[in-house]
Amino acid sequence: MAARTIRFGECTLDIHYDIVNMSGQKDIIFLHGWGSSKEIMKRAFEDKFQNLRHIYIDMPGFGKSPNNEILTTNDYANIMATFLDALNSDKFAIVGHSFGGKVATLLKPKNLILLSSAGIPQAKSLSVKLKIAVFKLLKPLGFSYLYRFFATKDAKGMPKNMYETLKNVVDEDFSHIFTNYHDKTFIFWGKDDTATPLRAGEIIASLVTNNVFTVLDGNHYFFLDNQNAQEIEKICLEKFSS
Amino acid sequence: MKFAIVFGGASYEHEISIVSAIALKKVIKSELCFIFLSPERDFYAIDIGNMKSNYFAKGDYKKSPKLELTRNGFVKKSFFGSSKIEFDTVINLCHGADGEDGKLASIFEFFGIDFIGPRIEASVMSFNKIYTKQLANMGGLKFLRYVAVNKKDRQKVLTENIVFPIIVKPSRLGSSIGVSVVKNKDELEYALDVAFEFDDDILIEPFIEDVREFNLAGCFAKDFIFSVIEEPQKNEFLDFDKKYKDFSRTETVFKADISEELQDKIKEEFKKIYNLGFAGSLIRCDFFVIGNEICINEINPIPGSMANYLFEDFNSVINDLAENLPKVKKIGVEYKYINEIASAKGKAN
Repeated sequence: MAARTIRFGECTLDIHYDIVNMSGQKDIIFLHGWGSSKEIMKRAFEDKFQNLRHIYIDMPGFGKSPNNEILTTNDYANIMATFLDALNSDKFAIVGHSFGGKVATLLKPKNLILLSSAGIPQAKSLSVKLKIAVFKLLKPLGFSYLYRFFATKDAKGMPKNMYETLKNVVDEDFSHIFTNYHDKTFIFWGKDDTATPLRAGEIIASLVTNNVFTVLDGNHYFFLDNQNAQEIEKICLEKFSS
Repeated sequence: MKFAIVFGGASYEHEISIVSAIALKKVIKSELCFIFLSPERDFYAIDIGNMKSNYFAKGDYKKSPKLELTRNGFVKKSFFGSSKIEFDTVINLCHGADGEDGKLASIFEFFGIDFIGPRIEASVMSFNKIYTKQLANMGGLKFLRYVAVNKKDRQKVLTENIVFPIIVKPSRLGSSIGVSVVKNKDELEYALDVAFEFDDDILIEPFIEDVREFNLAGCFAKDFIFSVIEEPQKNEFLDFDKKYKDFSRTETVFKADISEELQDKIKEEFKKIYNLGFAGSLIRCDFFVIGNEICINEINPIPGSMANYLFEDFNSVINDLAENLPKVKKIGVEYKYINEIASAKGKAN
């Protein structure tokens, strides 16, 4: 439980974070997914990677870190870079889950660990396409307050700025970024993931040059299973690039 | 004597207060009722059968009847009118903000409710650790030297020449929340971030390894009543987790093995503090003994589960205290002055 105030452009942001294994010589940083928080990541990994200093972060707008701005994935990466610099982090390893996977990729750590990462857009189902079409039709007529009915499950009860932020980051295509990524990468996926299907993982693995791809049992939150977390730890420790 | 235990509150110590109230349910033999102050600051009458931690964690308390504070005390409103919750004395068991910062003391006093707990000024002085140092100074007590730092001066601390180890604490929190022992410069930044998460003002003190710490609880009811003096067994210092568990304990007191003389000295220091405005409350003071000096480290004006485990006969203590609460001076407003002017004017006309 800690908080650091950093400056980002015109605004100041309170970033809430936790450190575990204070005396670790190298850092492993954990970035949660959309709508999640550092607590979830901590629950899975607190007792793993015991030789590394763990930094668990609530990204702005999630967990305890407040946010009033409309942000892009790039903004998130820049904010995290500023924050990690303030902590004198060596960015030895960054673990990113889902949306956090995209942010982690942009941060270019020595070892990138993606857990069911976002970044490969899925083809939209017909009903979703229809909802968007109807909404676009209604918007000029001043019916935009109806957006709640059309918004994704993620968006319900969300502050307006975070809804705009979600629109910025959702369905972003990171293919070109993955294609040009050459540093050590570990890709882990839940076999039965429905939020980011396994197919997306296979695509990322085909694009990133230097990667170890592992499919484990479970869904989008497969790493919360202790055996899976142990497996992730084991594979990373064997193959970490120093 | 029937007690109403008021617990909860909008505070970082909300959950500790719940644990504390549940512990007292088993300890107090008098008739009891429970009034929960939700994080949204609504009062609820909690059935004694529902006094289980899960009832609150799951939000089930919202099904309990809501109460309003009026000049008649706590009142339950229903379709058919309102009914008063019957009790003689409130035990203010809200640890941390709301309970220990003077807010509840103010409204209880305002609405004329008898209560066990620190009064307004005692609350204000003991809630902020920086003010507590001033209070101790005023009362002629010894205390550890300290530096107070505001969040805007964070950078300055990092460039200071500090002699480690030190202890970093938020200024307005109890139960060791946000407190860290810092052994070297590398650990300092994180400790500052931890403390500043909870408060914009923090305190830095030297950390004295192997210092002997003694806890003494007590109150004044006709005469001073003291608990046994405890020397807590510590693992460097009590962290939040440990203290939290400590709150629900009902036995195992590590009675301090010290001379009568030292015990008396500690009691004298306790009296000095208590007499600075703590009448009406049962407080626990934590002292350090360094060489020949007794330093006051902390005042807990609402100790966890009222430090009942430190007293041989807690029930008689709490009853004695309830019967000897400080009297509130009644202010009679007679409109004498206005009436005099009016009648004088009348004559002039």
